[in-house]
Amino acid sequence: MENLVEFRNITKRFPGIVANDDISLSVKKGEILAILGENGAGKSTLMSMLFGMYTPDEGDIYIRGKKESITSPLVANALNIGMVHQHFMLVENQTITENIIMGIEQTKRRFGLFPVVDLEQAHTKVQQLSKLYQLEVNPRDLIEEVPVSTRQRVEILKMLYRDAEILIFDEPTAVLTPQEIESLLKIIKNLRESGKTIILITHKLDEIKKIADRCAILCKGKLVDVLKVADTSVQHMSALMVGRDVSFTVKKQEHTYTERVLLVENISVVSQDNITLVDAVSFAVHKGEVLAIAGVSGNGQVEIADAIAGLIPIKEGRILLEETDITNLSVRKRIEAGIGYIPEDRHSVGLILDFSLKENLCLKQYYEEPYSNKRGILQEQAMVELGKTLIEAFDIRTSKGNDTLVRSMSGGNQQKAIIAREIHLNSKLIMFVQPTRGLDVGAIESIHKRINTLRNEGKAILLVSLELDEVMQLADTILVMYNGKVQTIKKAKDLTKLEVGEYMMGVHVEHN
Amino acid sequence: MNTTSLPKRVFILCCGKGKHQLLRTSLFCIFLSLLAGTLLLLILGKNPLEAYKSILQGAGILAKPRYAGRKSQLTDFMSLLNYTTPMIFAALSVAVALKCGIFNICVSGIMVFSGFMATVLFGYSSLNPLLAKILVVFSGILFGALIGVLIGYLKHRFNMNEVVVAIMLNYIISYVVSFFIQTRYIDPITRQSVAVSQNARLTLFNHPVGNLNMEIPLVFPLALIAVFVIKFVLDKTRFGFELKAVGSNNKASKYAGINVGRAVVFTMIISGALAGLAGVSYYLGSNASIQPRVLPSLGFDAIAVALLGNSSAIGSFFASLLVMIFDCGTTYMSSRLQVLREIAALITSILLLFSAIGIFFRTLADRMQREIEEV
Repeated sequence: MENLVEFRNITKRFPGIVANDDISLSVKKGEILAILGENGAGKSTLMSMLFGMYTPDEGDIYIRGKKESITSPLVANALNIGMVHQHFMLVENQTITENIIMGIEQTKRRFGLFPVVDLEQAHTKVQQLSKLYQLEVNPRDLIEEVPVSTRQRVEILKMLYRDAEILIFDEPTAVLTPQEIESLLKIIKNLRESGKTIILITHKLDEIKKIADRCAILCKGKLVDVLKVADTSVQHMSALMVGRDVSFTVKKQEHTYTERVLLVENISVVSQDNITLVDAVSFAVHKGEVLAIAGVSGNGQVEIADAIAGLIPIKEGRILLEETDITNLSVRKRIEAGIGYIPEDRHSVGLILDFSLKENLCLKQYYEEPYSNKRGILQEQAMVELGKTLIEAFDIRTSKGNDTLVRSMSGGNQQKAIIAREIHLNSKLIMFVQPTRGLDVGAIESIHKRINTLRNEGKAILLVSLELDEVMQLADTILVMYNGKVQTIKKAKDLTKLEVGEYMMGVHVEHN
Repeated sequence: MNTTSLPKRVFILCCGKGKHQLLRTSLFCIFLSLLAGTLLLLILGKNPLEAYKSILQGAGILAKPRYAGRKSQLTDFMSLLNYTTPMIFAALSVAVALKCGIFNICVSGIMVFSGFMATVLFGYSSLNPLLAKILVVFSGILFGALIGVLIGYLKHRFNMNEVVVAIMLNYIISYVVSFFIQTRYIDPITRQSVAVSQNARLTLFNHPVGNLNMEIPLVFPLALIAVFVIKFVLDKTRFGFELKAVGSNNKASKYAGINVGRAVVFTMIISGALAGLAGVSYYLGSNASIQPRVLPSLGFDAIAVALLGNSSAIGSFFASLLVMIFDCGTTYMSSRLQVLREIAALITSILLLFSAIGIFFRTLADRMQREIEEV
């Protein structure tokens, strides 16, 4: 097979860091090449250079055997290179077709005079493309009305419409539910079969195992190895990626539960449009128990956590923390009563990105002594000390310590900061929602260990996760949600992964 | 690396990332507006240096060659302070709201409202001077805060956009106040409201000091105090922390247990009270009457001034001073250099224009810097 893309001795430096260090890598025509690496290993940088968002400091990129200087995404487009970004770039209130043709609209003249966009022809072409690659979208649907997985397909169609042959996917499964992931992987396979070349940036090993032909592993800016996926074990790949072995199972001690910490009784939550999101859900979490709520994304799990934290109102039911009814308490009162919450969205909920690290670490305590005195004056020194303690205890890595803007920190360290803050609150109940989303294997492992330690210390833990492996690994009790209803609550040891999956899909129904 | 053109690099040096980026950008904006003013003056065939010098002379920063009887550089300077006082309050009002993520463009309306209420309640009374002045100041704070609360409450309770509310309120206040002025308080000669009595005015006008007659803005010290109080509140207090948190991330603030609605309403009380102070120090200070159906442009200029001051308290103070130096000095410049007053006023406008686009310069410089680093 010929080499479609060749990176020759690529080096790219950013201030204070070598993002790519002398990388030589070739991509063969018609293969699926996975680029694997921890956050900050340099995989996105490498691909951004192929897509023309950065240019290399040293080294050359050869496309179809010819040396090219890709100075902008437009140049990349002309070379038939397309990229699906992690965050979609779509106009919400336009149709799928309009989004796809944007920038390269074909016009026709009405009455031979007035140029108008030829939407009909575009619709037909999009329809054809979507059929050809089995993407199944309706070109006339508005973006705001279609689910995330369809939006991703629109992004794929955008590239295909521009005759892309080399398709770069930047962590495409991060935003998808398990079934959606399955169907995306199928789409990617289809694309390869119809002759496209695919580069997949990811840190999910099982996906690589499922579809990739070869896997390039980056570690700290260097290319460690390029492996044939079929001959390599997952453990070996992950070991190369982090530079050490990662234990995939966390050891658990057996517990018997005596003290109940959280009791949720028949709570219902409705959206602003009066659609029921959570339907009469009841459960309890005890001291030293990890209760994991599993379910496909958007089945009411996050709303349960938000309702317990007091961020959204509940329509019915009540919530008890130990023996106190917290149903009508304010968010702050609930925090004080002992609820810690690591929210799903780090950037827009968990942190104030334009505040410094120490201010974020103090975000839930700034108002009480010793961080403020009785007259409402902030005590800088106390905040600094808290910051120092937590940065050290939780190994938060930053450029300027306490005064680092949280915006400039990496995702893993941002998450560490949130977890540090919530644990320091010394809450009785700690809720983790998607705590490892978008993090690398090393960070995931440390968060899993952290959750297990908290459990053994006797905290009550509520874990909401879309990752089935995470649920199976950490949970003592598993609650499966489907359509806002509880499908089942069982001891983790009484459930297999397959069974949980079936409950998640609504195959099994059980009333208890 | 060396392919970058020199102007680009100078620009990045001025507005790019690093220490004091905000301050450097502001200074760059000021420099640009001076440059634009220079060009304008050159086109008109005037000596720009001479023009800028006379602006400073007019504002009492430099000495004029000659002074009329009972006037001196000091009287000019006091007059500058007199006109600057309402601007400081107004810019602070905008800045505080901006820190909380609220765009308060109702400063003009609030100024008219509080100025009118103070005029009607105390401006025509025969209270003793001290009591009258104190009452005027307090009524300014009170009526300003009232409008502030209204805006804050509508935003918090009904999620109404504060800009829309402010625009409507500006019109409502302007017309309602005009109605009462036209029907009850009109001075038939000036076509403005009847001038308030000296007792209630916050500026001593033509006050003899030694052999000079000067304007003494009694509330200027209050404006200075306000600057430091606001700085302290924003930087050092629990409430300031909440205010800034809500301003930079509403959702995260709610998640952290901050009462977002309370923060918004309290911020608008402060912002409104400051605008109210601007109102009384304008209508019962540097002026003595209200012109019906005219919203003071000062309330809108204050937005650009607050932006030039990077919505910080100290920054707003210096930006106010600078803009008012131009504003006061251009009169003298126009008469000395025979430049039309409108042209002279244009220089102030250019300064305001450039101050409002500082954020753009900052983003542009950041982007260029990234590009250079990537080459």
